[in-house]
Amino acid sequence: MNRTIFKRRWFRISVIAVLALAAVLAPLELVPYANYQLTMIAVMGVAILGVNIITGYTGQISLGQSAFLGLGAYVTAYGVTEGWPVPLVFLLAAVIPGAVGLLIALPAVRLKGASIAMVTISLPIIADPLAKRLTDITGGSAGITVQWMSAPEWTGLADDQWRYYIVGAIALVFFVLAWNLTRGRIGRAFAIVRDNEAVATSMGISSYKYKVLAFTIASAYGGVAGFLYLAAVQYMSPATLSFIVGINLLAAMIIGGSASIIGSLFGGVFYVFIPVVAGQIDPSHTPIVYGAALLLILFLAPGGVVTLPRVLRRLMGRRTGRQQQPGGGDDQATESSAGKVTS
Amino acid sequence: MSARLSVADVFLQFGGITVLESVSFDVEPSTIFGLVGPNGAGKTSLFNCISGHYKPSAGSVSIDGEDVLPRAPSKLAHIGLARTFQHPALQLHSTVLDNVLLGGHCRLTGGALSWALRPPHIVRQERRIRQQAHETLERLDLDWAAGTMAGELPHALHKRVELCRALLSRPKLLLLDEPAAGLSHSEVEDLIAWLRNLRSEFGLTMIVVEHHMGLISAITDRVAVLNQGRKLMEGTAAEAQRDPRVVEAYLGGEAA
Ligand SMILES: Nc1ncnc2c1ncn2[C@@H]1O[C@H](COP(=O)(O)OP(=O)(O)OP(=O)(O)O)[C@@H](O)[C@H]1O
Ligand SMILES: [Mg+2]
Repeated sequence: MNRTIFKRRWFRISVIAVLALAAVLAPLELVPYANYQLTMIAVMGVAILGVNIITGYTGQISLGQSAFLGLGAYVTAYGVTEGWPVPLVFLLAAVIPGAVGLLIALPAVRLKGASIAMVTISLPIIADPLAKRLTDITGGSAGITVQWMSAPEWTGLADDQWRYYIVGAIALVFFVLAWNLTRGRIGRAFAIVRDNEAVATSMGISSYKYKVLAFTIASAYGGVAGFLYLAAVQYMSPATLSFIVGINLLAAMIIGGSASIIGSLFGGVFYVFIPVVAGQIDPSHTPIVYGAALLLILFLAPGGVVTLPRVLRRLMGRRTGRQQQPGGGDDQATESSAGKVTS
Repeated sequence: MSARLSVADVFLQFGGITVLESVSFDVEPSTIFGLVGPNGAGKTSLFNCISGHYKPSAGSVSIDGEDVLPRAPSKLAHIGLARTFQHPALQLHSTVLDNVLLGGHCRLTGGALSWALRPPHIVRQERRIRQQAHETLERLDLDWAAGTMAGELPHALHKRVELCRALLSRPKLLLLDEPAAGLSHSEVEDLIAWLRNLRSEFGLTMIVVEHHMGLISAITDRVAVLNQGRKLMEGTAAEAQRDPRVVEAYLGGEAA
């Protein structure tokens, strides 16, 4: 048994090493449009990760992530146009949506279930006409184009490659932060607020406080995604913060894997490639393909794409377990029989 | 680590229904207090009043002289109150260890930013609390199950996991709601031994709601009998079992 764990760890490490190497080398080989798509996976992955923190980990349905993404993108567009230093712009693109999220969360998280879903979906619905009106900052319905984040001379990289590396590096940092956050003290508190508020209370955890915290963090992640979006696309318009986008981000989170960090990345893959797949049939069919993917995943692996290997392993394990009845079986069987001996 | 609990003149109402009526009792530090009574007597409701889940309409509850009712319920763990639930509420898709670790929340420090950045003192805290969670599981013969999903454990063990979770918070006052429900005879014996040890080792004050009279007789210093929201009597377990009012309440309860 020790040996299998050992083997599995080495297998994991080598898979991760190969993937990391591929991620670093890929943009040097791929065409610009493919690099753009990969960059968008990272952008949307961060937005979806935010949804995951509030909805997947903490259990409060948020349909409004697109509003925070939009706010982050417009803050970035404004700061860059004004010629502010990029690190400052980045900070503001995270902090301003975070602060707005905090202000909305303070009253909103007192609501339960469907009510908080309604409040969150109203955010992009309000933000959309607002963005269309504030033409000085947003460029109105036509949107705003910002040319920035070009590859410095010394790198010898093309713009698409440079943006891939910048966006990828920032996304990686935010994925690692979320990984840390969702394990340990804060992550356990989020999970019990989602699962059982009465128990949370008796453990000294204020559900209200942790819902506000999760919503604030999710909003800041939305803002960061907005910054990355503007880096990748160089253009922002109200269409990007529509409530449809908010719903799609939630759907992508569920497809990728609720309460899973890696699942958020898979969610990003789905978000970027579903329109591509749908487009080969008919672009107007994107929502249908989305719905079909969602249903299919919920049917096959209710925990999302990220649980597919586990579902498959369980199916296979059941089969092998039946073949070699008394001796073998999978890890779970050995563990529970060991349990019977000691208890 | 022990606490004095004082419940004075507590009333609890839901709509027009009076669930608790002028209930008063004191629990001395490092003693085990039994709370018995027929189904629907209000025992769990009384626990909920102490733990802040219900707000009594009148009366006071104080721990070590400090009035707990005005406090936010989620602050009570920090002053040493822990409880288990009549219907165990575990996270079935988490490991037993993760369930127990939740009890460590009020003993860990640091906000979201610290836990996201994981500086060494946070890493040390997490390592220490995991170590202590394993020790707690070991104490109740459950360490073999640390990595098992809680949902895969037999139901009879869920209450024991809950007990470990409550203990990890290092409480001064522990409320146990029917800890022996669903246990076999030998498991009840084990439970009795563990609860006695906890008291003698840590001086823990405990209140136990239980229908299992064997357990009540074995471990309690005093008991109070509740019936239809009122305290019928208070005394030792033996006195309670002899009391004609108590006998009648149980028979009446059965007949109803
Ligand atoms: N939240 C609530 N809303 C309305 N009535 C309630 C509520 N909680 C408890 N009650 C009522 O209070 C009474 C006492 O219930 P409680 O659960 O405290 O009894 P108990 O002594 O714990 O019984 P048991 O031994 O069956 O667990 C019951 O009549 C119950 O219906
Ligand atoms: Mg009860």
